[in-house]
Amino acid sequence: MILAVLFANSEGNILVERFNGVPVEERLHWRSFLVKLGAENLKGVKNEELLVASHKSVYIVYTVLGGVSVYVVGKDEYDELALAEVIFTITSAVKDVCGKLPTERLFLDKYGRICLTLDEIIWQGYLENTDKDRIKRLVRLKPPTEF
Amino acid sequence: MAQPLVKKDDDRDDEADYSPFLGIEKGAVLQEARVFNDPQLDPRRCSQVITKLLYLLNQGETFTKVEATEVFFAVTKLFQSKDIGLRRMVYVMIKEISPSADEVVIIVTSSLMKDMTSKTDMYRANAIRVLCRITDGTLLTQIERYLKQAIVDKNPVVASAALVSGIHLLQTNPEIVKRWSNEVQEAVQSRAALVQFHALALLHQIRQNDRLAVNKLVSSLTKGSVRSPLAQCLLIRYSNQVIRESANTQAGDRPFYDFLEGCLRHKAEMVIFEAARAITEINGVTSRELTPAITVLQLFLSSSKPVLRFAAVRTLNKVAMTHPMAVTNCNIDMESLISDQNRSIATLAITTLLKTGNESSVDRLMKQITNFMSDIADEFKIVVVEAIRLLCLKFPLKHRALMNFLSNILREEGGFEYKKAIVDSIVILIRDIPEAKETGLLHLCEFIEDCEFTYLCTQILHFLGIEGPKTSDPSKYIRYIYNRVHLENATVRAAAVSTLAKFGAMVDTLKPRIFVLLRRCLFDNDDEVRDRATLYLNTLGGDGAVVQTGDDVKEFLFGSLDIPLVNLENSLKNYEPSEESFDINSVPREVKTQPLAEKKAPGKKPTDLGAPLAGPPSTADAYEKLLSSTPEFASFGKLFKSSAPVELTEAETEYAVNVVKHIFDAHAVFQYNCTNTIPEQLLENATVIVDASEAEEFAEVASKPLRSLPYDSPGQTFVAFEKPEGIPAVGKFSNMLRFIVKEVDPSTGEAEDDGVEDEYQLEDLEIVAADYMLKVGVSNFRNAWESMGADCERVDEYGLGPRESLAEAVNAVINLLGMQPCEGTEVVPKNSRSHTCLLSGVYICNVKVLVRLQFGLDGPKDVAMKLAVRSEDEAVSDAIHEIVASG
Repeated sequence: MILAVLFANSEGNILVERFNGVPVEERLHWRSFLVKLGAENLKGVKNEELLVASHKSVYIVYTVLGGVSVYVVGKDEYDELALAEVIFTITSAVKDVCGKLPTERLFLDKYGRICLTLDEIIWQGYLENTDKDRIKRLVRLKPPTEF
Repeated sequence: MAQPLVKKDDDRDDEADYSPFLGIEKGAVLQEARVFNDPQLDPRRCSQVITKLLYLLNQGETFTKVEATEVFFAVTKLFQSKDIGLRRMVYVMIKEISPSADEVVIIVTSSLMKDMTSKTDMYRANAIRVLCRITDGTLLTQIERYLKQAIVDKNPVVASAALVSGIHLLQTNPEIVKRWSNEVQEAVQSRAALVQFHALALLHQIRQNDRLAVNKLVSSLTKGSVRSPLAQCLLIRYSNQVIRESANTQAGDRPFYDFLEGCLRHKAEMVIFEAARAITEINGVTSRELTPAITVLQLFLSSSKPVLRFAAVRTLNKVAMTHPMAVTNCNIDMESLISDQNRSIATLAITTLLKTGNESSVDRLMKQITNFMSDIADEFKIVVVEAIRLLCLKFPLKHRALMNFLSNILREEGGFEYKKAIVDSIVILIRDIPEAKETGLLHLCEFIEDCEFTYLCTQILHFLGIEGPKTSDPSKYIRYIYNRVHLENATVRAAAVSTLAKFGAMVDTLKPRIFVLLRRCLFDNDDEVRDRATLYLNTLGGDGAVVQTGDDVKEFLFGSLDIPLVNLENSLKNYEPSEESFDINSVPREVKTQPLAEKKAPGKKPTDLGAPLAGPPSTADAYEKLLSSTPEFASFGKLFKSSAPVELTEAETEYAVNVVKHIFDAHAVFQYNCTNTIPEQLLENATVIVDASEAEEFAEVASKPLRSLPYDSPGQTFVAFEKPEGIPAVGKFSNMLRFIVKEVDPSTGEAEDDGVEDEYQLEDLEIVAADYMLKVGVSNFRNAWESMGADCERVDEYGLGPRESLAEAVNAVINLLGMQPCEGTEVVPKNSRSHTCLLSGVYICNVKVLVRLQFGLDGPKDVAMKLAVRSEDEAVSDAIHEIVASG
């Protein structure tokens, strides 16, 4: 299960937070844990270079994408490698939506489309689509090209 | 000149800082949502409002039920619009908002059903996802037909939507989803990679409880070609599951190993890694099977991708626990990871190296770790400290270097948990390695000179009070302890007073000086400190002269209460002040050690500094106290050994029973720990009826029934046997639990008056030769061996017959003898054809025994062994040979 996808700006303010199967009372804890993790480790990291951590049986893969940082949390079948796949899909789709590396402003400008994109990639904790071109078409309700 | 430049910067900042959601406020957005009700819909405006609502939801904002219902109703109106972009937004919005407005969901189902049968594929896919998100069982049966069609739809998006819906619905409506097997099976053969991936996941979930079906599924797919790397990963996991489950039932070649090995050459890294990890996780994997996987993981160690490095080092870390020698080839790559920027990777690398390192590499490794420790967080440091503790126990000769390391890091900055981990480690090393005791105690003394944690200070003072007086020069600790009386808070001062008194009581020569110090404490401004000082001054006796303190006084002052503290606490809480004073003898002594929740979790060895000192000191001591305080067993003398608990019932049965075998010189006592897992039952008068017909030398002499066994509150019943004194008699015992069962009303918790007698068959139990051997290590085997001398040495050779591996043969002999392996010799290097293993122990009647085992491979699988035993008694040396000869 992909437990959480979280976007934050460079100051650690949350832009998007989507949890699956995480009790409401634990979400705040996760949010501050991830933001702290990012603050401690993401300085000077190149765009899209993946960082990884594990906390008990939960894995976290995170990275920087322009002016925003992205965190993906998973457990069981979604271990660090599967999450790397998920976050790669997310970052490439977000870049596609923004047309370049997003600044915080650009990210917020494209907020609606980014929500739709995430909706296509992860559905209630499961990875659904991985190809950015296909996702781009699905967001516009167009069938995939290979069909 | 500077002015325009500044202005330009300001402009840019303004633009960057401006957020389209600046000052967004829930109430205002809800107002805006009224545009959804307009007769002339403006799709663009509506999309903007939905985006704002999504932004609020994604920030963790919650809507009240009324708000959610209102928005939900309004959003459903948007189905009237034909605008595609808006429709896509509507789908997301319904999914996000519906759970808190489920009773009104029916409003939207007709629109969604219409979309689900629409000619536009993408409407179909999205409508399926939304419907499955908000549906219940009744609605599901109505749309089941469409979903089954969708699973085999030509459009991969529609098929995937239906399949992933299936995965979710399987949790809530399994019986319906299971009917889709045929369609899902067809989808597994799809040419679209993702459809195959989702279909395989669903099919496996549908069949996961049918072992044969999973086996068949894996067999058929491993032969064909699975297109998607993700699906291939799933297949590897499923085949690994089949291997695990078939391990106990099949002999001969391992099924699917070739498939896994083949996957190591796949083009996707994900698949390669998954296969490598699967191979390392196979039960009883051989070195030959392991090698190709380790080679692949070694390559990943130097990958440029942190995720791959992390995955590889994490897997190797696990392998190092079971096959340390297999990982040694990677040590050089692992050492370079110590400087990895990602601290999770570096910590894993260090702990792996600590597990695989040999005695000669310890010093070099410690040097590297010292540099590394300064720039990692506490939680990583704790992991490293624990690994160092294990390393020190493995190579006791290295205690000096490792203890120094621990004391150095103890002086550096760090939080409570980290410091506690270090102190716990030092305490364990002091306890297990006698040579490390004095230096270890001094390190602890220095630490409390500048320790900000009251808890740690008091614990260390307590520990000093126990161990300090037994050292060669107890006086050198006094200064450190008395300093606390001057410099610390009241809690620490009180602990220091008690420690001082212990020194006074145990070391007669120090008593006069201790009395001087204690008298000074009479002027302390804290009541507790003064009270303690007064108590000790009045009871230790001799008025400060060099005289011995009576044993009864020592027992009164420092003896343990001999009662579980929890029981004492409960009794004190229940005590009502009256004429009758509190009687400590009324406190129950039965130890309630096994709450259900704890039992399910694998038992963690108590490493806590507090645990062995306070409360029931250690398991062995607790057992001894428990038995000696039971009148039936009080005359049996000193307890020689207590075994680890042996389970006599399967997991998750009505009654969970395990047994601890207590061996005395002329007796054996079985302690049956029973737990009742049924809330509606109360058991009374529980006893175990033991049939000892296959244990001729044992005669039952006593049985202590358990009066009452309520739900989830463990209790013990005992059976005692007499046996020939000092003789390691063996035998087999069959057990039957007999009891009276009473029904309990769960609402009131009251039991009925009448009960029914019942019995419950338990598994058999054996007393074996290893039960008469205590695992006691020696820090330097060679010295111990030489000083024991060859007077009582017995040497002989044995053929052990065909064995799976040399390591398996070594393990079997260690387990047979029940002795402590020394200097890490229980680990057999891979591919080696000979091995020497050193064991030490204490045999019944307290006879020290040392064993040197030399193994060699004779032919392809046959193992030969030379057994040399030295002990203080030649009869015992012979007995060890007999154990091996008859085992």
